[in-house]
Amino acid sequence: MQNLYKPDLMTVTKVRQHTPDVKSVSLSFQDAARAGAFHFRVGQFGIFSAFGSGESTFNICSSSNWSDRIEFCFRKVGRVTEDLWSMEEGDTIGFRGPYGNGYPVEQWRGKDLIFLGGGIAMPPIRCAIWYALENRGDYGDITIVYGARSVRDLVFVDELEEWAKHPRVRVIQCVDPGGETPEWTGEIGFVPTVFERANVPAQNAVALVIGPPIMIKNTIPVLERTGVRMSSVYTSLENRMKCGVGKCGRCNAGPVYVCKEGPVFTFEELRALPMDY
Amino acid sequence: MSAALSQEALRALADGWIKSGRKVIGPVEAQPGRIVFKPLGSGAALYLGAWAPTVNSIKEAVLPRHEKLYSYRIHKDGIQLMDEPEAAGETIVIAAHPCQAAALPVLDKVFNWDLADEFYNRRRAALSVVTLACSSYDDHCFCTSVGLGPASEKGSDAMLYETGGEFVARTFTAKGRALFGDAAEEAPPQHDGPPVRFRAARAREFARKEFDSPFWREHSLACLGCGVCAYVCPACHCFDIVDERRGDEGFRARNWDACQFPMFTLHASGHNPRQRQGDRQRQRIYHKFGVYPEKFGEILCTGCGACARNCPAGLGVLPMVTEIPDAEPLQA
Repeated sequence: MQNLYKPDLMTVTKVRQHTPDVKSVSLSFQDAARAGAFHFRVGQFGIFSAFGSGESTFNICSSSNWSDRIEFCFRKVGRVTEDLWSMEEGDTIGFRGPYGNGYPVEQWRGKDLIFLGGGIAMPPIRCAIWYALENRGDYGDITIVYGARSVRDLVFVDELEEWAKHPRVRVIQCVDPGGETPEWTGEIGFVPTVFERANVPAQNAVALVIGPPIMIKNTIPVLERTGVRMSSVYTSLENRMKCGVGKCGRCNAGPVYVCKEGPVFTFEELRALPMDY
Repeated sequence: MSAALSQEALRALADGWIKSGRKVIGPVEAQPGRIVFKPLGSGAALYLGAWAPTVNSIKEAVLPRHEKLYSYRIHKDGIQLMDEPEAAGETIVIAAHPCQAAALPVLDKVFNWDLADEFYNRRRAALSVVTLACSSYDDHCFCTSVGLGPASEKGSDAMLYETGGEFVARTFTAKGRALFGDAAEEAPPQHDGPPVRFRAARAREFARKEFDSPFWREHSLACLGCGVCAYVCPACHCFDIVDERRGDEGFRARNWDACQFPMFTLHASGHNPRQRQGDRQRQRIYHKFGVYPEKFGEILCTGCGACARNCPAGLGVLPMVTEIPDAEPLQA
């Protein structure tokens, strides 16, 4: 019997701690045949599990070009993530996926890319940034504005610095007022205002905006002023999920099953949906 | 089988099925006036009295309230996953009302769009449904408002019609013929169903257009959020997936869940898209009359009335939907 709910077993190959409560984990398939056959689109998600605690849904935050591993990133907030937090190299994690639609990276070819992220929203943006850098000829200028409440809440900081060294890549880091340290050299302010100050040309851009609802709400008017069309602005919804395969009825946002028809939507699509996310 | 079956003959038939090793589920009078679907120990337990609604639904035959998905053993050097043994074999539901059977073809859709749920499918394939046409109805019944009726054949493999204390069987599928033979009777005269109580199309339109209406909050004030409406519903199918572990062994299972619980949609961040009970009641109506028909072409409600009959606060689909402005049936 084909068991939709039975996970692949994956071995933890690396653990990185980003903040006092955020870690990312690299995984490789224990089954060699599965490892060879596996592929996904950046922007898709997986259901990751700790045996004995349960399953949780996370974006696959690694690039789809990395064939030796997948990565996910999480904040320690509940029973499953407490258990995942204790995982070390060599431990086993369950994985189901890839699920969802992913980013339409083919449609983004020839465009400038604007990535706007807040807090723990960096991982689902990171996979797209790496993908774009690895297919550099397909994309134009890349702008990354990433903010968090405080300096210690920023994740993937080393990679932000690495991306900034690439030609035609502009990285702006910011923290909320009061969240800076004496050594802080980035901007102080919220993502929408920092982005507006940066005066990024957006006529030929697509934007990926992921973050807390308040950040998204305040970013949209700024993007509209730049002239970018709402059909070119993408986000990834975070509705709670259990099955990931359109059965359990949990992730509906109005008429859509976020796990199947999402999690990636344009803001034009979102405007047609009721506020159910 | 052309001859009518007496009650005794019907019970004897059920006994034969049970003796042949099949699981037979039917209505049982658990307490006076309280009829529940249960596996029958013998045909004698089958409730064949005056028309009465059942408390629970037959969906348990295809979607058990608790179902192991797989087990695991935790070793020092890794995890071993173990499939669950095949589910119980052939199952027969007998004497369910047509509103119970009608939910099964509706559920088939969600469990098979894109990816197939084999846990559901193998139970469904092993299930035969023998319905009993309704001879009456109560104030909660509204099958006729959702396109069904007291003798709707949808989802039934065979149907029994009670006439003068005896039962005439008609068969609609190979599964039904395997139970009752080939000779299909003409449909006996049917009883009236409940009057049409609302327009389902209006419920759909209202839920879609009036998503943010205060209507939902105002009509949900009494809701306790207990979820009984979902548990007794033949069509509600939302589930949770949980782990249970003891020592080095454990299993992952799915349990029934309900959209009336605040936790149902609570994000890890603390954000909840459905903060208020009214949002959750709206979801229940919108999913049944809007989302599901749009996606799968079927209303996710068969008009059985179990939600309202069992609600401690007098809510449910019928009390809610009939309050929708202009929901009343159009007069001829």
